[in-house]
Amino acid sequence: MTYRWDFAPILDNWQALAFGAIGTVRLFLVCLVLGLSLGLLVALMRRSRHGVLRWLAIGFIELFRNTPVLVQILWFYFALPMLAPVEISPFGAAILGISLNSAAYSAEIYRAGIQSIEPGQWEAARAIGMTGLQVLRRIVLPQALRRVLPALTNRGIEIFKMTTLASVVAYVELLQQGKLVASLNFNPLEVYTVIGALFFLLLYPLVRATYALERRLARSDA
Amino acid sequence: MYRWDFSPVIANGDLLLAGLANTLALTGVALAGGIPVGLGLALARLSGSRFLSAPAGVVIEVFRATPPLVQLFWFYFGLPIVLKVEMTPYLAAALTFTIQSGAFFAEIFRAGIVSVDRGQREAARAIGMTEAQAMRRIVLPQAVKRMFPAMMERSIELMKTTTLVATVSYADLLYQANELAQKTFRPLEVFTAAALMYLVSISLVSAIAALVERRMAMSGEMAR
Repeated sequence: MTYRWDFAPILDNWQALAFGAIGTVRLFLVCLVLGLSLGLLVALMRRSRHGVLRWLAIGFIELFRNTPVLVQILWFYFALPMLAPVEISPFGAAILGISLNSAAYSAEIYRAGIQSIEPGQWEAARAIGMTGLQVLRRIVLPQALRRVLPALTNRGIEIFKMTTLASVVAYVELLQQGKLVASLNFNPLEVYTVIGALFFLLLYPLVRATYALERRLARSDA
Repeated sequence: MYRWDFSPVIANGDLLLAGLANTLALTGVALAGGIPVGLGLALARLSGSRFLSAPAGVVIEVFRATPPLVQLFWFYFGLPIVLKVEMTPYLAAALTFTIQSGAFFAEIFRAGIVSVDRGQREAARAIGMTEAQAMRRIVLPQAVKRMFPAMMERSIELMKTTTLVATVSYADLLYQANELAQKTFRPLEVFTAAALMYLVSISLVSAIAALVERRMAMSGEMAR
C-alpha cells in the first residue's frame, strides 16, 4: 500500500507557516548584520599591535569556532541568566549564539582577505601620508572584501540554515511552526517536506549566486 | 554574586562522558558512511552519463542548501510514514548525517579530482589502464592528499552538527547535559562543562589535523 500524500492541511495552516517564515527572516537579518560586522571588528582586533586585544580576539575565535552553535544557544538561554540578573528571551539567546558564532567564523574570512593584500600597498599608502585607518578603509578593505565576497555569502547561507536551531528554545520560526502544524494534523511527512522545499527555494538562488561570484572572481584575478 | 559549584557536575561526570562517547560514536558512523557516499556522489557527478550526474547533483544541492535540523526531522518523523519502518533517533541521525556529510564530501572530492592534471589521466589511459584503474591508482591518491585539510574541516563540522540529535532524544553529550541541568538545577555549571568538553575534543582533533597537514606539507606532497 502506498502512502497518499495530502498537502491540504498545510494550505489550511499557511498563516501559521507564514508567521514562522517572518520569524526566520527576522532572526536571519539580525544575525547576518551583527555577525558580519562583529566579525570585521574581531578580525581587526586579531591584527592589532596590542597583545591584550589580539589575545582576546584569538580566544573568542577559538572558543566560538570549536564549540557547537547549539551548545552556545542553550548556554545563553539556560546558563547566562544564572550569572547575570537578566531575563533572556528565546529570540535573544538565538541572536547571541548565532551572531557570536558567525562573528568568529567571519573574522577568519576577513583576516584571510586582509592578509591577501600585499604589504607593499600598505607601505605605499602610508608613504603618501594616510593614517592606518585610512589605508584600511580606502585601500585594503575594498579589495579584501571583494576577494572574500563568495566566502561571506557562504557564511550568510550557513546563518540562514542555523536559524532553525532557534526552534530548540521555542523561538517562533519556520521549523518551530512546522512542528506545531505537524503535531496538530499528524502529517509530519508533508510538513517537513514543504519546509525543506521552502528552505531550498530560498537558499538555492543564493548558492547559485555564490558559484557565479566565485567564477567571476577567478576570472578577474587570473 | 553567583557561587559556582561544579560538584554536582563532577558527581555525574560519568553521564556526560557516556554522552561524549555517543557523540564520538555517531560522528564515527556518519564519517564512515559519509566518505564513501561522498566519493560515490562525486564520481557519479563527474561521470559523463547524465543519468548518473543529474541525480547526484540533485542530492548534493538539496542536502547542502537545506538546514540539517529540517533533514533530521524529515528522516525521523517523516520517513517512517512512507517506509513503514520503526525509526530510532540513532538510525535517523546516522542516515541524515551520512547523506548530509556525503553531499559536502562529494564537493570536496570533486574539487580534488578536478585539480589533478588531465594529462595524468590521459597518460595512464595511454599505457593501458582502464578508467577505473587510472582513478584508483593515479588520480585519487593525489587528490586525497590535496583534499585532506578540507576533509578534516568538514569532519569537525560534522562533529558539531551531531549535537542536533539531542532534539530527537538521542543521548549525545548535549542531551545528557540538558538532562543533568534539569536534574541538578545547575544549568550554568553543566552547560559550561559540556561546552568545555566539546572545546577540548574539537581542539584536539584540529591540533592533530594541523600536525598531519604540516607533515604532508614538509614532504612536499601538498605542493601546489
